[in-house]
Amino acid sequence: MADAVQRAHAELDARVRERTADLTRTNRHLHDEIASRRRAEEAFRAQAELLDLTHDTVFVRDAKDVITYWNRGAVDRYGWTPDEAVGMVSHDLLRTVFPAPFEEIMAELTRTGRWEGELVHTRRDGATVIVASRWSLQKADERRLAAVLETNNDITERKRAEESLRQAQAELAHLTRVMTLGELAASIAHEVTQPLAAIVTNGDACLRLLATEPPNLGESRNAVDSIIRDARRAVAVVARVRALLKKSDLERRPLDLGQVIRDVLALVQSEIARHRIELVTSLADDLPPVLGDRVQLQQVVLNLLTNAIEAMRDVTGRTRGLLISARRHDIGPDAGVLVAVEDAGVGFERARVDQIFEALYTTKPDGLGMGLSISRTIILSNGGRLWGTSNGSYGATFQFVLPGWKDRP
Amino acid sequence: MSGDESVVSIVDDDPSMCEALTRLLGTVGLRAEAFKTPQEFLKTKRPEAPSCLVLDVRLPGLSGLDLQRELANTDPPVQIVFITAHGDIPMTVQALKAGAVDFLTKPFRDQQLLDAVRQAIDRDRAARRQWADVAGLRRRYESLTQREREVMTLVVTGLLNKQIAAQVHTSEATVKAHRAQLMRKMEADSVAQLVRIAEELNLLPPRR
Repeated sequence: MADAVQRAHAELDARVRERTADLTRTNRHLHDEIASRRRAEEAFRAQAELLDLTHDTVFVRDAKDVITYWNRGAVDRYGWTPDEAVGMVSHDLLRTVFPAPFEEIMAELTRTGRWEGELVHTRRDGATVIVASRWSLQKADERRLAAVLETNNDITERKRAEESLRQAQAELAHLTRVMTLGELAASIAHEVTQPLAAIVTNGDACLRLLATEPPNLGESRNAVDSIIRDARRAVAVVARVRALLKKSDLERRPLDLGQVIRDVLALVQSEIARHRIELVTSLADDLPPVLGDRVQLQQVVLNLLTNAIEAMRDVTGRTRGLLISARRHDIGPDAGVLVAVEDAGVGFERARVDQIFEALYTTKPDGLGMGLSISRTIILSNGGRLWGTSNGSYGATFQFVLPGWKDRP
Repeated sequence: MSGDESVVSIVDDDPSMCEALTRLLGTVGLRAEAFKTPQEFLKTKRPEAPSCLVLDVRLPGLSGLDLQRELANTDPPVQIVFITAHGDIPMTVQALKAGAVDFLTKPFRDQQLLDAVRQAIDRDRAARRQWADVAGLRRRYESLTQREREVMTLVVTGLLNKQIAAQVHTSEATVKAHRAQLMRKMEADSVAQLVRIAEELNLLPPRR
């Protein structure tokens, strides 16, 4: 009995020892595990602190674009603390504007493992910043995306500088064209000064010839002849300039305005396509002929169309629609034609409606401000009217009417 | 000035201006010849008599200022009076710096032009006189023998006959004979005069 008790005791003892050793082993194992985790955590923290040192904005988002890491640079750039940012969907928080459809960007990221581009972000204080963004992909396995590291550089200032440079260049181009007008004026001045200088010199010579004793009448007469000839020459120069401005070599004949419009549309077709404009034409078949110069009327239509195209150059977020129509429009008992060009562009302020027809008034950075002024003069000289109206929501409509040609003297 | 041989060349592409200028110059007895282009002017032989050039700035092809540059190396220099319908200050400065007599803006006063032309012709006359003198000296110098020229060069640097003889390996008496001969040919009465002539002919070594 005592033996049995003793054996049982010894067995129990052995079991307890065994169990204790087991526990000790497990405990040691756990200690090791904790220590290694702590080391890993420290390493991670150290790395995160390193990321905090960079001036770049760095953040990490998971497969669902939820922010999991937010560095010091991100705090500075956007204004949210890591506590506020982590857990938010990054594109919602930053109201990201992408340069291309999001699906395309993600496709490139999954295919190549990286993506670069310019993004527009909105900061906590509501200001927008333009950033050069670089995305790197971390994969969980072959198919699934684990996380995206996004590094952003603020390029707002650079963008602004580029824009002002572009504007300066446009102003320079405008100036160059005005200079050309100045050169034209200088050339005209030279053309007129030449005969005037000869007249003055001949006049002086004539006085000297008359002052001799006896006066040299024969040569004096020659001098006066030259004076008259050169004066006529000066008059001819002035007449040429006036003709240039008046375009007196007009050929006025009955015209089909629909054909005039089709001719011009053929010219601007590529411009329309290049600016991704949706053109609608509505040219009636029953247009009465109008009397006018083909080239001049083409100029008017071309001017209205190019104005419309330019007005829509910066339009985004709505269809760049352009409507040109021509229809019969009787003025009292007389037949006439109404042409309208309607755009969805930037339009003009109602208060400026009179100004836009003035010479040298322009809203375009590289415009001369002559187009509408010349167009109105042409239409007026053909017995018509040209006017512009601001559309309800956006864009403008310019239209003109011309009286129909009457086949009688 | 009436009755002299002076000639005024005019280069202006405007025939009316050429004609008017010719008439005006004629009233003071000056003969004028007009050219429509610089090229025509360059093709013509320069007048023997004192002359000047009335030159328009703006010309087709070669401009007036180009022609002035082209003429820069003529000797004696061509005296130029510029006329222009649109002269600006830099253009005027450039023309005058390059030696133009005057720069007149069309239309100009007759007296202004006549004064400028007169001044230009006077300058040309003086330059020609000086040029003729130098040409005469050069002819005399060319009549010297090789040995005489050698001796002359040494004389004007101030060497004595004995020193010259040593340098050219000959006797002092021979040097003396050469010296007498070259003095006679150069029409120089003294060594001082010979030095002046050498200076005119650019024979002296550069001064230190």
